[in-house]
Amino acid sequence: MKYFNHTLFCILAVAALVVLPSCYKDEPLNAEADIEQVELTVDNPEQFFFQLTDARQNVLSTDSVISFTVRSHADLTALAPTFTLTPGATIVPASGSTHDFSAGPVWYTVTSQDGNWTRRYRVQFMPQVVIVNDTIKYDFEHFELEPDKHKYYIWHNVLADGTLGNDFVTGNPGFKLSMGSAPPEDYPTVPYANGYEGYALKVITRDTGVFGRMANMRIAAGNFFLGEFDVQVALLNAMQATRFGKPFMRKPVKLMGVYQYKRGATYQDRAGNPVPGRLDEGQIYAVLYRNHDAQGNELVLHGDDVQTNPNIVALCIVPDVNPTTDWVKFDQPFIYKEELDMELLANRGYSLTVVFTSSIDGATFQGAIGSELIVDQVRLVCEEEQ
Amino acid sequence: MKRHIIAIFTLMMTLLALPAMAQDSDTLAVRTHRWFSLHDIKLEGRVGFNIGGTAPLGMPATIRHLDKFSLTPNISFGVSATKQFNPKWGLKVGINFENKGMKTDARVKNYSMEIVRGGQTLGGWFTGNVVTSVTQWMFTLPIQATMMARKVRLRGGLYASYLTYRDFSGWAYDGYLRVDGPTGEKVSLGHNEGERGEYDFSSSMRRWQWGATVGMDWYVYRRFGIFAELNWGFNGVHKSDFHTIEQTLKPIYGTLGFTYLIN
Repeated sequence: MKYFNHTLFCILAVAALVVLPSCYKDEPLNAEADIEQVELTVDNPEQFFFQLTDARQNVLSTDSVISFTVRSHADLTALAPTFTLTPGATIVPASGSTHDFSAGPVWYTVTSQDGNWTRRYRVQFMPQVVIVNDTIKYDFEHFELEPDKHKYYIWHNVLADGTLGNDFVTGNPGFKLSMGSAPPEDYPTVPYANGYEGYALKVITRDTGVFGRMANMRIAAGNFFLGEFDVQVALLNAMQATRFGKPFMRKPVKLMGVYQYKRGATYQDRAGNPVPGRLDEGQIYAVLYRNHDAQGNELVLHGDDVQTNPNIVALCIVPDVNPTTDWVKFDQPFIYKEELDMELLANRGYSLTVVFTSSIDGATFQGAIGSELIVDQVRLVCEEEQ
Repeated sequence: MKRHIIAIFTLMMTLLALPAMAQDSDTLAVRTHRWFSLHDIKLEGRVGFNIGGTAPLGMPATIRHLDKFSLTPNISFGVSATKQFNPKWGLKVGINFENKGMKTDARVKNYSMEIVRGGQTLGGWFTGNVVTSVTQWMFTLPIQATMMARKVRLRGGLYASYLTYRDFSGWAYDGYLRVDGPTGEKVSLGHNEGERGEYDFSSSMRRWQWGATVGMDWYVYRRFGIFAELNWGFNGVHKSDFHTIEQTLKPIYGTLGFTYLIN
């Protein structure tokens, strides 16, 4: 009995040492080095920003450029932005230190709590450039592989002052999560060399493979839109990942351009089952909406309300994007539901999105793999300034 | 290196025990005859339950808390044969069919992991919860020196196991992955199927395991006895070229059960 007790005790003691929580080590220090939020406090925020909510920005984990749009006469010579960082991380130059942003951006380096990881951020204050032309051109000529891992293409739009912006985004970062080994050409949004003139934009509905099935997101419709793509919620709530719209200060009246459409063979539902008789369609549309709610909170449209949110003031939907044999021209007016508040417009109180997608129901992961929309020479025509 | 030393040491102890089993007064012929005679071999059947885990030796700092630990149906049944060389010493060999399984739910921080499916990989550092489910059905062949001490027989030796079914899978949930490392994209994983990151490292598991085994049998009533033993795996459950989980996970299981003397 004595042996038995002793042996049993030994066995249990050893087992306990191995599996039981008696031996947790000290918590490792944080390894992340993010700027999570930036805030700027100035004396007269109304004179500096268009909207008071512009003074604070949440920063996406994928962003390394933080850009504030300010009034054209704002004094940028002595600004002291403050940063919310990953807990424990440090930033150089210090949060709250004063810098002259009038000469250009200031670079900040964040170091993780454990000291092993750093991220560099460019912070800039951009005076709003007045859009002088009534017609804004989207020609899709400026693209490159994303600079970090070179996995997929990103595009730049030409701003009013001739510089390049990052206003258009795609769902490519989400596709990367499911098909990390795909070459850039096999992503849902790619450049197309034989454009109407120069390069065009091509969006294709792709199979997302085993990962996609696992996440019940079997297809990725190619998309390209004015807004942001928040990859953080792409797996959790894909509809929320597409954040449509950027502040816009002119009154758009119509959207023009050319497209080609090829329809994928088999329309499938979310479960991946073919839906006989159902035909896929592409979609080209633009939406103008009030970007603050009645309480003054910032508002952005997502995949589930981009055409239905009550804050929408104008819709422009190109009808029947069906298969074509050659380039088809479109010229679609904005239909206004209400008069624009011109003062609100002048204060960046409206946001605009322009969207191109290869499958009309792509947001709910339904459509035909292989559906393909090519667009070029897109023109957003605005009302002449009085 | 350390595990080799332990293994060699155990083997040597087993071998050294053999000469001690002889009684000096016997002639070599008598001794040899008795050693190789089979008529006094005792056969035993046994059934037991494996308690333990497939775990790193020492909890890494990235594992913050074990929220849940449950044992799966870790039945072990088998037969053994014991050759008694003298009243004190003997040699026991056996074959067991058993499962060394477990299911854990652990809170982790900066835990390196990878989801690999259909040629696609999504990996990085995960902070959140990880469920791990391990099933390992195997045939185990133990060889042990035995020493009688009144009604109790102590034994120690080595074992080798061949896995006929292996599963090492689970999911990461309620947290976020930093893709490729702590400065990569932050991707949230949710709670329910479809929102979480499922992984399956079954095919990276070894077929063969081996380790040391020590135990005791206590003959309680007539042919019935109870036993307790500890089986300490020397090699990790995954192949040596598997690095997704940074720590080597070793099967360390105790077994408690009943024995029945057949002859």
